[in-house]
Formats: sequence, C-alpha cells, structure tokens
Amino acid sequence: MNLSRVWAVTYKEWREILRDRLFFAMAFGLPVLIFLVLGYGISFDVEKITFAVLDQDRTAMSRDFLHRFIDSRYFDYKGDVSSERDLDPLLADSDIRFAIIIPHRFQEQLLAGQATSVQSLIDGVFPYRAEIEKGYLSAIIANFNAQSLADYLARTRGISKEQALSQVSPVRLESRYLYNQALRSQWSMSSGLMMLVLIVTPPFLTALGVVREKENGSIYNIYASTISRSEFILGKFLPYLLISCLNILVLWWLVMHVFGTPFKGDPLFYYLASVIYVICTAGIGLLVSVLVRTQISAVILTMVISFVPAMLYSGLLVPIESMGMGTKIEAHLFPTLYHLRISWGSFLKGLGWAELWFDVTALIFYAILLWVIGLLNFHKRPSE
Amino acid sequence: MGEASLVDEQTVINITGLCKSYKKKLAVNTVDLTVKRGEIYGLIGPDGAGKSSLMKAIAGVLSFEQGALEVFNLTIDSEASAEKIKGRLGFMPQGLGLNLYGALSVEENIDFFAQLREVSPEQLAERKNKLLAMTRLDKFRERPMKNLSGGMKQKLGLICTLIHQPELVILDEPTTGVDPVSRRDFWAILAELLQEQGITALVSTAYMDEAARFNRLSLMYNGQILATGETDSICQQAQGCLVELTAEPQLEALKQLKKHYLQIEAISSRIRVFADNTPVNAGVKTVTDLLAGVKIKTIRAFDAALEDAFIALLRERPLIDQTNKDKSIPRFDKPLPHNKSIVIEAKQLTRDFGKFRSVDHIDFSVKQGEIFGLLGANGAGKTTTIKMLTGILPPSAGEGHVAGADMRKAGQLIKERIGYMSQSFSLYLDLTVMENIRLYASIYGINRKIIKQRLAWVIHIAGLEDVIGQLAGSLPMGIRQRLALGCALVHQPVVLFLDEPTSGVDPIGRRHFWEILVHLAREEQVAILVTTHYMNEAEHCDHLALMYAGCVIADDSPANMIQALQNEAGQLLEMTTDNPLATLALLKQAHFKGAALYGKHIHLLALNSENVKDRIHELLAKQSIKLINLEARSPTLEDVFVYRVLALENTEST
Repeated sequence: MNLSRVWAVTYKEWREILRDRLFFAMAFGLPVLIFLVLGYGISFDVEKITFAVLDQDRTAMSRDFLHRFIDSRYFDYKGDVSSERDLDPLLADSDIRFAIIIPHRFQEQLLAGQATSVQSLIDGVFPYRAEIEKGYLSAIIANFNAQSLADYLARTRGISKEQALSQVSPVRLESRYLYNQALRSQWSMSSGLMMLVLIVTPPFLTALGVVREKENGSIYNIYASTISRSEFILGKFLPYLLISCLNILVLWWLVMHVFGTPFKGDPLFYYLASVIYVICTAGIGLLVSVLVRTQISAVILTMVISFVPAMLYSGLLVPIESMGMGTKIEAHLFPTLYHLRISWGSFLKGLGWAELWFDVTALIFYAILLWVIGLLNFHKRPSE
Repeated sequence: MGEASLVDEQTVINITGLCKSYKKKLAVNTVDLTVKRGEIYGLIGPDGAGKSSLMKAIAGVLSFEQGALEVFNLTIDSEASAEKIKGRLGFMPQGLGLNLYGALSVEENIDFFAQLREVSPEQLAERKNKLLAMTRLDKFRERPMKNLSGGMKQKLGLICTLIHQPELVILDEPTTGVDPVSRRDFWAILAELLQEQGITALVSTAYMDEAARFNRLSLMYNGQILATGETDSICQQAQGCLVELTAEPQLEALKQLKKHYLQIEAISSRIRVFADNTPVNAGVKTVTDLLAGVKIKTIRAFDAALEDAFIALLRERPLIDQTNKDKSIPRFDKPLPHNKSIVIEAKQLTRDFGKFRSVDHIDFSVKQGEIFGLLGANGAGKTTTIKMLTGILPPSAGEGHVAGADMRKAGQLIKERIGYMSQSFSLYLDLTVMENIRLYASIYGINRKIIKQRLAWVIHIAGLEDVIGQLAGSLPMGIRQRLALGCALVHQPVVLFLDEPTSGVDPIGRRHFWEILVHLAREEQVAILVTTHYMNEAEHCDHLALMYAGCVIADDSPANMIQALQNEAGQLLEMTTDNPLATLALLKQAHFKGAALYGKHIHLLALNSENVKDRIHELLAKQSIKLINLEARSPTLEDVFVYRVLALENTEST
C-alpha cells in the first residue's frame, strides 16, 4: 500500500466534491432531506380519526353514548347526518373514516333491559387502520356496557357505583410502556431512520464517485497508472467516509433535537457502530460501481438493492417477529436489521456492547464481505 | 550515445493475431503490429474501426481473447503482467478533456497525475514549468479545466500524460473536434517533445490528412488493418492514379466515367476519379479517351492521396458494397424552379448564452441549388447558427430568413419547407428503417394517398433498399447517416440544414452521402447548409463561411479562398531534408512564417517563392543539412483556416 498514491486520489476527490455544488449538496443535503421527509411522513399513530353520526333515536341516552366518541382524543367528530344515504358520499370521498348509526328505540330497548345493536360503517381500504378503529370502538362500547351494568347493579343492590364497577370488571389491566412511555412512533421512527438514511447515501456517493469516472473516461487514468486496486478504492472511499461520518452526527442531532427522541445509550459505542455500518453500506456502493457503467443505472441499482430491502426487511415498518419464515431469513441477510437493533437499543433502551455485540459483529462481517467481493471484482484491465 | 543505433532498432510494441470482441461483435480482428522505439506511429481509420480497442489493449487497460501482445518485450496476458508496463507508459483516452477533472485547475490536474505517478516534487516543478511554457498554458495555471477551449484541453491532457516521462505514449484521437490551428499546434508540440525525450508514440486519428504527421502508420477498417507502412508506400499500394478534371457538361462527364470507374466524385466544378491500374503518366490520356461529346477544360493526373488509397484498398477486399449502382435517382414530385433566388439569409445574427456570445453578428446568404458550408471547430457557433435559422432557438439580435420567412415569427408552415438533420441524427434506434421513415412522414403530415410512393422515394434516394427491415440501432454509422438524411427529406424540402452530418462516418460513407447532396443541389435545386469540421470535405461546397469564436472570418468559394491565400501569403512550399527537426529550428531562427513539421516534411508559406528557395538553399548549406526536395504545393482549405485565424489573433494581440 503506497499511501502517497492513496492521498493523491483522496485529495483530488475531496476538491472535486467541494467544487461540484450539486454533488456537495447531495452529499450533505440528501441525507437530511430523506430523513426529514420520512421522519415526518411515516407515522403509525392512529389519531384524530374522522367520523360522522346518524342518530335515529335522539334521546338522552343516545347522546350520552355518542359523546364517548365525540370527546375521545382519538376521534374527530365531523357532524350529524339525517339519513343513511348521506353517509355514503362522505365515506367514499374519505371525508370520514367511519360512521356510527344509532337505531330507533335505542334508549327504550336499553331501559327495557333488552339488548340493542349499534352499527358502525368502517372504511376498510387500509386494513391496519380499520382494525385499530374497530379496536377503539369495541373498547368504548365495552366500557359503556360495563358502566351500564354497574349503574344497574348500583340501583338494584343499593351499593355505590364504584363498588358496582369493581364487581363488573374485577380484573383491570394496568399497563406501563417501557422505553417509549408515550408510545410515540416518531421516537422509534426517527431513531430507526438513521439506519435507512445511512444505507442510502453512503452507497450512493461511493457508487457515483467511481461510476462518474467510468462514464467520463477518467477511470483510464487509474487503469493506465501504477496505482493498485486497493489504493484507488481506499483513496476514493476516504472522502465519502468522512462525509458519512459527519452525516451520522448531523442525523443524530436531528433525531434528538428535532424529533425530541432521548438518547439513553453509550454515545461512543453508537458512533463507532454506525461508522462500521457506513463502511458496510459504502461497500454496497462499491459493488454497484463494479456492476454498472453509467451514473443513472448506478442510482437505480443502489435504490433497488439498498433502499427497498431496508424499508421492507429491516423491521422498521413490519416487526421481524410477525414476518413469515422465509421473509425472516431474508431479513437476517441484510445488514439493516442489525443496525436498527443497535439504534433502538442505544436511543431508547440504553443498551451497549454487552447486549449488542452480536449485531456489531454481524456488521463487521458484512463490511469485510462486501469490500472483499467489491475489490476482487474491480479490475484495472476489464473486458469492456 | 554509441548504443543509439542499437536502441533505435528496439521494438516497443509487438502484436500478432490480436482479436478482441464485445459480446458477439468482433472489434479487433487478427491484427499484427510492430512499433519501434522513437517512432510516431499512426492508426488511421473511421469510428468503429477498432482503433480504441487496440490501443486500450496495448495500454493494458482492456483484456483481449486471442493473439500475443508484447510491450517493452514483456508479454501482456493478464492483469498482473499488464501492471508491469504501466509505470513506463502514458495513455490518453478518447474525448476532449474527458479524462481530466473539470472542477480542478490546470495546475491541480497536473499535480494529481504527478502524485499518482509518484513524480518527486522537484522533478514535478521542473517538468511542469517546462511543459506549461511549451504549450503556452502557463498563463492559465489557475483556470478550471472545464473552462478551457478544446485545443487547450488536449494540450493539458498531453502534459498530464507526459508528466512522468513515459517511454511510450498512447494517444487516442487527440485531435478530433479540435480546430485546425490548435491541431497544428498540438502536433508541433508533440513532435518536439517526443523527439527531445526519445519517446515512442502510438497515435490514432480519424482525419486522413493527418497521416503526414506519422513516421509510419496502419490503416484500419472494421477491426482489420488494411495496410501498413509509410504514407507514400501505402499510397503506392493502391494500384492506380488520381485524375482531376473540369468538364462541360459535368453531369455527362460523370455519367460516362462512372461506367468505367467505381471511385469517382464531383467536387464543386471538378471531377475526381481514381483510375484503377493506371500509372500517373498515362492517367490523363486514359481518362480523356473515355470521354466523348464532353468538353474537357482542365485535366491533370497525380499520385493518390491517402484517402483515395484507403478507399481503393478497401475495394480490393470484400468488405464493402462494390456495386456502383448506375441508378437513376428519383426526382422530386414537384420540381423546384431554377431561379437562383436567395433562400437562406443571416443578417447580423447574434446569440448570447448569459455572458457568453456564441454567435456574433454573422451575415451570409445561400441561393437555391447551392451547397453552403459552415466550417469551424467545436464551439465555434455552427450549431447555434443552424438552430436559429431553423427556428429552434430565437436569436438575441439580428434576423434569419429562410424561404422568404423571418424565422423569429415564422409559424409551422415554414417548417414544411425545411429539412433538418441534427448532429445526433435524431433517429429512433429501436425502430426499423421503414418505421423511422414512416414516422417522419406522419410527423410532416404526408398525404395518405402518396405516402407509399413517398416512402419508396426516400428508400431509393438514400440507398436503403437492402436494410428496410433492420433496426436503426443495428446499422453502421454510414447507413444510419443516410437514413437520417432520408428522414429529413421525406417532405421534399426546399432548404436542407445538416449539422455535422459526417462526423464519425468512414470515407466511403462520406462520399456516398456527398453524392446524394450534390444530386439534391444540382438536380433538385435544394439549398443546402452544411456544417463540418472536416476541412477536406469543405471542398464539396460551392460557398464557404469560416467560423471562429462566433464570427465569420472568411466567406467565399473554396477556390477563391485558396487563391486569396496565395495572393496574400504566397506559395506553400514543402521541403524534405535529412534532418527535419534541425531544419525547422533553423527556419524558425531565420523568421520564416508558419514553418511547421509534417512527419518528415516541413511546410512554409512564401510570398516570393524563388527568392525564398534561394535563401533556404543557402541556410541549409551553411549547416550542412541535405535538402532532398523542395517544391510548391497548392494550399488546402485547412491552410486557409489556419492562416486566417492566426492573422486574426495577431491583429487582436497588437
């Protein structure tokens, strides 16, 4: 390894990046942009669900029943309609996500001790949201039922309402959420996005950096000179490593100060683990640059082999545990899963090397694997 | 220096039976080549001839399948063995400045190459200063590479390739797209450097007229080497001589001669014919005897130039279409009137891009039935001019009139009278030949009733009968170019604009193409405006405008331009001595204008040629340099261009 040749390439590359405004903007702007777009864009909190009401009973009891929905922080009451026919366009235009229909004689039947049913029309286009909405509805109705029963018991047995309530529901769930007490999906999402952004930008930059020279023809300066393959690759990679290392810090700051996510782990451990991850993902870029000859195909291929699997198989959107066997194995073949565990472990759980050593080792393994394959396939005397 | 003669004999490159293919396409086909130390060896051939692949293989940056390659007596057969020679050679790939780094300055580019090649700082400083001074780039040290002109980029590329003082340099088309002045400059610098440092050079070019720059050369076509040797010996390999005549009526003379000769072309009022198997001294008589009922005005015979020899050699091989179809080219549906009115006119036409003035107040006019050539290097403003005249780009100032309409205001109607073929040919490569033509016919709204007949006409005039069903992308450049021309003619326009139609096309394709253009102008009275950077092609034009840095610097017929040069600057003398470099140095000392090295020969301009000849004899005798030959030659259009530009630069600098 001749360090002066490595330095020649690094220094040249660095000055080119600084002077090429577009590339410079991409190097530092793109990660932040992706991060902010996805960080604000992806949210799994189902709140403020819009709904409308068709109250055919119009009694004190029906109004009391409906207020349990109207007053909830999860729902956004959009108003009353006078006939069932009016609900269809509202649902069709997505003005409301569900509707509640109170039947005639709602109060009368309840007071007579008869069972009655309330109908709910739910927009089922997005099943995940529909399921959650149904869960909320059921919970509110169960609560209403328990209250009604408690009222009845209190009246008939002459006991206080509190006593009656504890008899109606003797077991109550007291849950406390650990690591993310308020269950804010933005906390998990923003810290998890570190994984996503850092698998997109380092390979992008590395692949473009090499492929740009291929496309221009300046790669022949390298081919025709005495610089070795590893010297060139290393020299080429160092500026992008530096940029990515800075980007880790920028993103980290955003996670903590824009999304308000706490960091509970060991900063040094997390930083080093992320640098290893960046080396690993830049290796993907090296592989791409070996395979393609134009910048545009480099962009597309990088997107396909880094961004898409990262979205699907990292566990960021779909928990690994709920994946099928095949998918689960696939998920373990991508390095993203391990960095996501490190991110969540470090930010939310306060874990360190003792708990996350396996994931870090996996990343080191991937980094070595990708770089060795990339280097072996980079030739100074290609066939095309 | 006692071993000098031994070293000179040493072989630097030795190739036998080299083959290189990409997928199924054979790019280099069983090539043998030997380059000796100290030579400037040329590879000449059109695009796709296999020059680049061969050079890359030699530079050790491209693998090949078959054959043996030795560089510096080391066998190159693997990546590892190729590494061993890389310290001793320099390689400059094709493309204007593409291997340089646009964002870096001139000096930073040089420094990078030096660091990469581990040149010590002291050596770097010394060589850099010297090379920058020689190439006159020292004023531009701080300028970013991307802001240099084409010629300057190539000179910088040369410095970067030479900074580690390689023993062998491989330069792939270093002069393509560079203006003639810079091209001459480049060759002069290269020759001086190579001589001084004893470097061997392998240089490729697509310009046949650059052959004189080489000690030895190989002509390449279709992956094969057609001929190898010194320029003169290659020209002699073509059995026959060149006869040039002017005759009335020209068309009749052409018709009669075509019956006997395959290699014939009309260049404005002249006819050039390659008389196969005819010695020079018999050329005039042989050709004269073949003509009946034609008045011959002038006729002379001489040895074939390289391009003619190239085509003659190609014809000896079954590589190309041999038939000289004596076909009657179909006429326009509605013949245009023969009235020689002006149909294209540029009046003070100007175009700015930001602060940059691309076209600067140019004036010219083109009559019906005239072929008008716009000549200039890349970036001279040719394409911008055409775009303004076709209404694609609005001018910043001035007017352009085409077929009587002001192109600033002209509507769609005028476009139906204009044919335009762009630099990139604008074909759909995934469509077949017929589909492309049909598409253009539909775009121009050709009447359904006549469309079938019109398609047949296009196929016929462009000579595409054999390739109707082939994909445009699979065609060689020459045929693709005729297809593009056919598409531009589909509506039988009055005016035809052609933007660098022949770049990348081989000489045979170029001739076929010009034949069609001459027919269109002479027979159909179409006004043709064509741009080119091939100076020798400009001879086909009736009228020329030389463009330089956005201005028209000369505007006349080719013959008048050459005459004007001779009146102003005198005769072009070509001298051959036993020590060309010493001679050149001597001439420069004695302040001879425009003395330049062409391979073994030296060219210079002399107003009073007899007087100058005497002085040269005197000078050389003093230094005991042997004068082998000294004769007057007729200057070429390239000489005109170079002279005009240099004159302009001189008046600007004073």
